[in-house]
Parts: sequence; C-alpha cells; structure tokens
Amino acid sequence: MTHAESEPEAAARRPDTAGIALEAVGVRYPARREPALAAVSLTVAPGEVAGVAGRTDAGKSTLALLAAGFIPRVVRASVTGRATVDGIPATGLDAGALAGRAGIVFSTPANQLSASKLTVREELAFGLENLGVPREAMDPRIDAVLAELDIEHLADREPFALSGGEQQRVAIASIVAMGTGTLVLDEPTAQLDPAGTRQVAELLRGSAAAGRAVLCVEHDPTVLGHVDRCLVLDGGRAVGLAPPGVALGSGVLGATGMPVPTIVRLAEHAGVDQALAFDEDEVARRLRDPRVRASPSPDVPKATLEWTPIQERPGVSLEVRGVTYRYAGGVEALRGVDLVIEPGEAVAIVGQNGSGKTTLAKHLDGLLRPDVGTVAVDDRDIASLPVHEAARTVGFVFQNPDDQLFNRSVEREVAFGPRNLGLTGPDARELVERALQLADLLAVRTTNPYDLGLSTRKLVALASVLAMEPPVLVLDEPTTGQDGPGVSRIGAIVDAYQGTGRTVVAITHDMEFAARHFGRIVVMRAGQVVADGTPLDIFSPERSALLASTGLEPPVAARLGARLGLGSTPTPEALLAALVGSA
Amino acid sequence: MVSPATGYYRPGDSWLHRRDPLTKLLAVGWVLLAAFLLPPLSLAALAALVLVAAATTGLVRPLLRALRIPALLIASILIVNALFYPGAQDVIARFGPMALSREGLAFGVVSAGRILVAFSASILFLFTTLADDVLESLVARGASHRIAFVILSAIQMVPRLQDRASAILEAQQARGLAVTGSLATRVRALVPLVGPILLGSLIDVRERTFALEARAFGASPRRTAYRVVVDPPIDRWLRLGILVAMVATVVVGVGGWLA
Repeated sequence: MTHAESEPEAAARRPDTAGIALEAVGVRYPARREPALAAVSLTVAPGEVAGVAGRTDAGKSTLALLAAGFIPRVVRASVTGRATVDGIPATGLDAGALAGRAGIVFSTPANQLSASKLTVREELAFGLENLGVPREAMDPRIDAVLAELDIEHLADREPFALSGGEQQRVAIASIVAMGTGTLVLDEPTAQLDPAGTRQVAELLRGSAAAGRAVLCVEHDPTVLGHVDRCLVLDGGRAVGLAPPGVALGSGVLGATGMPVPTIVRLAEHAGVDQALAFDEDEVARRLRDPRVRASPSPDVPKATLEWTPIQERPGVSLEVRGVTYRYAGGVEALRGVDLVIEPGEAVAIVGQNGSGKTTLAKHLDGLLRPDVGTVAVDDRDIASLPVHEAARTVGFVFQNPDDQLFNRSVEREVAFGPRNLGLTGPDARELVERALQLADLLAVRTTNPYDLGLSTRKLVALASVLAMEPPVLVLDEPTTGQDGPGVSRIGAIVDAYQGTGRTVVAITHDMEFAARHFGRIVVMRAGQVVADGTPLDIFSPERSALLASTGLEPPVAARLGARLGLGSTPTPEALLAALVGSA
Repeated sequence: MVSPATGYYRPGDSWLHRRDPLTKLLAVGWVLLAAFLLPPLSLAALAALVLVAAATTGLVRPLLRALRIPALLIASILIVNALFYPGAQDVIARFGPMALSREGLAFGVVSAGRILVAFSASILFLFTTLADDVLESLVARGASHRIAFVILSAIQMVPRLQDRASAILEAQQARGLAVTGSLATRVRALVPLVGPILLGSLIDVRERTFALEARAFGASPRRTAYRVVVDPPIDRWLRLGILVAMVATVVVGVGGWLA
C-alpha cells in the first residue's frame, strides 16, 4: 500500500477489477475533427503483458496516456466509454486517486529523471517522497526494486552518467518503487541502442510476473515479441487483438498496409504455431522441413521510388586518414580511424552507443575537426572550410529533428536549405517540390511541423536536406522512432538517392535496414573500425563472434540462415532464395 | 564542470558542506551587501575571507578555474573605467581618445573587485550546496513545494539550454546557415537558432511535466524527504550573527554614504 486507504476505497477496489479495463473508449482532442481513439476495448489483467502496435498517429500514445490516467486530468480531451484502472475510473480528475497505482514511462530517459538527485537510490525515492511515505519505509522498498530490476550495482551512481538503457531501467524502477499495480510504457526503446532495447524488453515479463498489469506501446517487433497479446490500432480503431505472432502478421498488421516484421513473415511461411512466431529455434526447425522449402516464397515488399535530381552532382570521395579525436574531458572518441568512401557508395556505420560512430560522421562535414589526421572531401582538406560551406557538399541529417525545425510550415522548412545555398526562383521551388514528393510530405506541406508526430518531423528534417541535393548525404539514426512505413520510405529514399550516383552514409542500429539498403557496413567499437565489408561478409556466420564482441547482433534473416547452415543470408530475400535453392 | 543534474556541486564533507543551506544563503547575501555597501577597503578583507573559506575547504583550485567565467567581464570593467573615466583629473598617460587616470583606475579596481568577490562567494556556495537541499530547507520552513520545484527547474534549465543551443547551432550550420562573418549575417542567424530552442524547450517541458505527474508530484500535501538535510545547532547562532552583521552593514554602509 502506498497510502492509508479508507474503508470505502478498499471496498471499491475489488480484486476482479484490478488491472486495466477499457470499454469502448473514444478520445477526441479539442480542435481536432477526427477522434484519436474510437470504440477501443482492451483488458489487461495483473500478470499479463499487452502490447499496442500501429503506425504513427494511430492513437497508441493516446491509449497509453488514457490507461495511465492522464486524460483528461493532464491532457485535455473529451472521453467516451469507460476506462478503469485498478477499479478506479481513469478519467477522474483527482490526482491522488491514481497516484502510486498506475505508472507510465516515456521514451526519452533523460526527461524522466528528476534531474536533481545525486544517486540512483535518491532518484528512486523521489516518487515515495511525493506520496508522503515515511522515511523509515523507503529503504526497504528501494532495495526491493533495485533487486527486481537488477540494477543494484547502479544504486550509488549518478543518474546522468548512466547509459540510455540503464537510465530507462532507472526510470521504470522509480515508477515501480511507488507500488504501482499497472505499468504503462510508451515507446520505451525508441531512443535506445540494441543492448538497451534488450534490457528493457527482458524486464517486461518480470514486471508482470511480480503481479502487475503491463501495457507496452512499441514499434520494435523484438519488444512486441515479449507480450502475451498485442492490440493493433489503425486510425484510432482497434483492428485486431491477438498474440503477437498473429497481430503483427499479414492478416492483421499487414492488412492495414504496415510492413510485417521479418520473423513473423518467416514464421507464417513456415507454418509455425502463432504462439511461437518469435521463437527462432522453432522457426528454424520448421524451415528445415523440405515441404516448407519447396513451397513458393512469400513476397517481401520493398518500396521503390523514382527520383531525378535537378543538379548534376555526382558523388564525391571521402577520405578519413589517421583521425584521432578527444572530447573535452579527455575521452578519446576516435583512435586512429582510416576510412575511404568512394563516390556513389552507400555505407552504414554501426556500433554500440559510445563506439564513436556519431563522432566519425560529424567529421565528414566539418562539425568536428580531428586532433590528429586529416579529412578530405572531394580531394580537398576540409580543415579550412567552415561548416556552412561544407554543407554544400555534405548534407547532414541529425537524429533529433527538433534541433532543426523552426518554420511555420513544412514547405518553408524544406525551402530553408536551398535558400541558404543562395538558390532562388523556379529552381528552388522545383527542388522543394521534388524533396516533398520524395519524402511523401505533399499532403502536409502547409502544416506546422510541430503539429506532426515525431516520425513525420524526422521526414521533414530529411526532406529539408534532400532539397539541397548534396553529393554526400549523411543520416544520423534515420530509423529510430520511425514506424514501419516510415522505415520503408527512408530505405527507398536511400536507394533512390544512391541510384543517381550520390554517396549515402548512415549511422544506424537497425541491422536489417543496414543489410537491405547499404552495400557496405563499417563496424565500430571503442573508437576504432573493427570490420568493414559487404553485408554478406559482415553478417556471415564466421563473423558472428566479432559482431557479438561489439554488442551487436546480425539481423534475423542472417541468424536463421546460420542456424539452417545456408551460409550468409543477410536479408529476408537472400534467406528465402537460399531456402528455395536448397530444396 | 557543470552537470545537468547537480550544477556546480562538488561532493565533500568540509565545514562549509555541513552548514545548513539557509545559513550559507544568508552568508552569501551578507557578502554581497558588504561588497557593495561598505567602503572599498573592506573589499580586501572580504576577498581574504572568501579565499580562507576556499582554502579551508580544499576548493581553491576549482574556484580559480571557475573565475574564467566572469574573467572577461571583470577585465573589461577594469579597462573601460581606467581608460574612459568621465571627468578624469589625475591623468597618468594619454593614448588618443583614451586617458589612463588614477580616478578611473581606482574606480575600475573597486568595481571589478566587487564583482569578483560577489562571484567568488556565490560559486563557493554552489560548490558546497545542492540546489535540492536549499529548496528542501526552504520548504521545511514553510515555502510552497511547487514554487520551490519551479525554481529548481529554472536553475537546471541553464545547462540544458546551453547543451541544446550548441546542438541546434550545429544542426543549422549543417543546413548551410552561415553563423560567422558580418554582424548582419550573425543577427540573421539568430532566428533559426531561437525557434528550435524555444520549441524544443516546450516539448521538453511537456515530457518532464508528464514524468513529474507520473511520480505523483503534488499528489500528497505532506511530502517526506529521503535525503536528510541536517540543521546543526550551531547554525541557528550563525544565522543570527549573520543577520546582525547584515543590519550593521546596511547601517554603516548607508550611513557612510550619507555622510
């Protein structure tokens, strides 16, 4: 118990109404014509983990906020239907009622720390302080939570010094410490690297096993694979509620036009039982069956786009020679890196957070200058070139679109780049037009970017750089926070861009994205390049130990191909071709 | 040096660390009053006091490093006053329109000295006091917790804004925005920088507000505290003494002024 309950309160909280119960709920934000949610029903019992999937703006975050009691108490909206959490109406306006009962975790770890505490232990006490829990009762509860979430070793560390995955676990712990019976997570892994994502995915089950009802909104299929049932939303409506193997399959998620995750597609092809769709051992076992191998391969859709640039500017070469870079404070982020990228290549730089990939990318357009070594773009040393001059040749799209967007319409935002380069008139207008088309933003050209979801804002930031048609395009984590169609779109843009002879360099965590759209993968660890080759090479079974040493895993298709002894199959297409070939 | 969570705070167990936050706040208040109200000669004594405080708490080196922040301001106050003192009589040397005068030099030294002493006392306070603890002790004496948290968030905004500002500067340059060059160029560059800072801060604030709500901030009227802020018995006397000193300072300072 978090606070003394009165008799009526205790009576009202019957055991059979614990957890989340949403009955035909609808939510409409003020001044919006369309409801964010319409007639959605969902129950999550204690001990159960439910997932919510769907494209951006499908209503997933709205559902999460509703289940945590934030609507209409914190976020103004009109609500229809019934929403109860732990037997208490979630749409009540009394802050005290749900405090300590329903908790919610968001995607940016740093924003969830109280930011005023010296240690993780004190951070975990924050919620307890707010609830007025007596000081003597705090330590036992904090100890229990540290043990439950396996972060005892972090108890005396400073929260801001932790990695993203560790911070996110602390954020979850600080909610759980309050004794919540219901835990809601809104895209908890969107900002995390693969290791961080694994850390969070693994604790979902444990949290439910402790007697909580857990609701997790996510894009990442590996996280959704850990849930018992998954709700799929499309345009605010529920289109399916089933185990993830079915909900994320062609019949439900696929039917809404979203791409089906590779593992689910392969599981369907192999006829694996829906409950085991995410079990790689089972999928591999079924794929060995000669009848499965002989059956026709399913379609793996790959979007393609047509794009003709206005300016004739072929790709340029990039040469990084012996670059060492130290951040203020002495951290050596790059230790003697050599990298040559020929014109027209598509290169993906991969590695854990802290491996130096972003630091390296920032050297390519002069945002950072090496302490030792040289960086040459188009055979010219860029040491003397100011960043805005280098931007004519190397276009950099940052991970956080909110660092760049400031205009009142998408169209003006996209026109910003060309204007800086001194381009005006019909040429500039044409550049904007083509960039909007390429990024599928024509329908929202007059909308204020801040009225759009994060996925779309990222596309706006991308379009604003595409409009400059730089010979080299550098993308920093283009797929984080993106929904399925967004990832497909960006992949198609990369293909189209590189198809004109321009160079594309991307920093990414998404191994499947890297394997499908990039001809070269550069693996980094602790400031050095440890591997450099084609996807076929890097994701081959022989290299799996090296990849594991950097904290990365090859994509699903490669893992299954290795299990089945089919050699290197970095993409789903390659795996399916190899299966047919071996039949 | 500056952490987003704890600002300039340096963990330690010196006599300064162990004082109640309110005591230290009052002490800084007194130093500021004394620096600006008392006759200039007292500046030397105040500076010595601050230096002794730093030395006895092992914070001399960090203090000297921190003085880089107002260094430019202090230097310019000194130079501008020394060379451009209006109505200067006792001129030592002339360089075109500039005249190095004794009055100017004296005034410059005193003004710069006041800023130096005020800054040093304040930074020593920040080195030895957690913002959180200041607010807890104020709340324990009846201040509203919500207001206290708003103040705390405002203090934390500064390092966050600094980080964001440099991220935004980089991002806009990468889109071809020229930020170096003529004054006109630099002024024009402000618009694409200010927008994302403000809007990004709003989004930030929204997320942080949600996080606070999720941690039941404001849910209970009676808040408890995990971290115990100790008020040593001697501090009550110290505070009384400082208050008396403050009154005396005002009397002497204003009196001397009027005389």
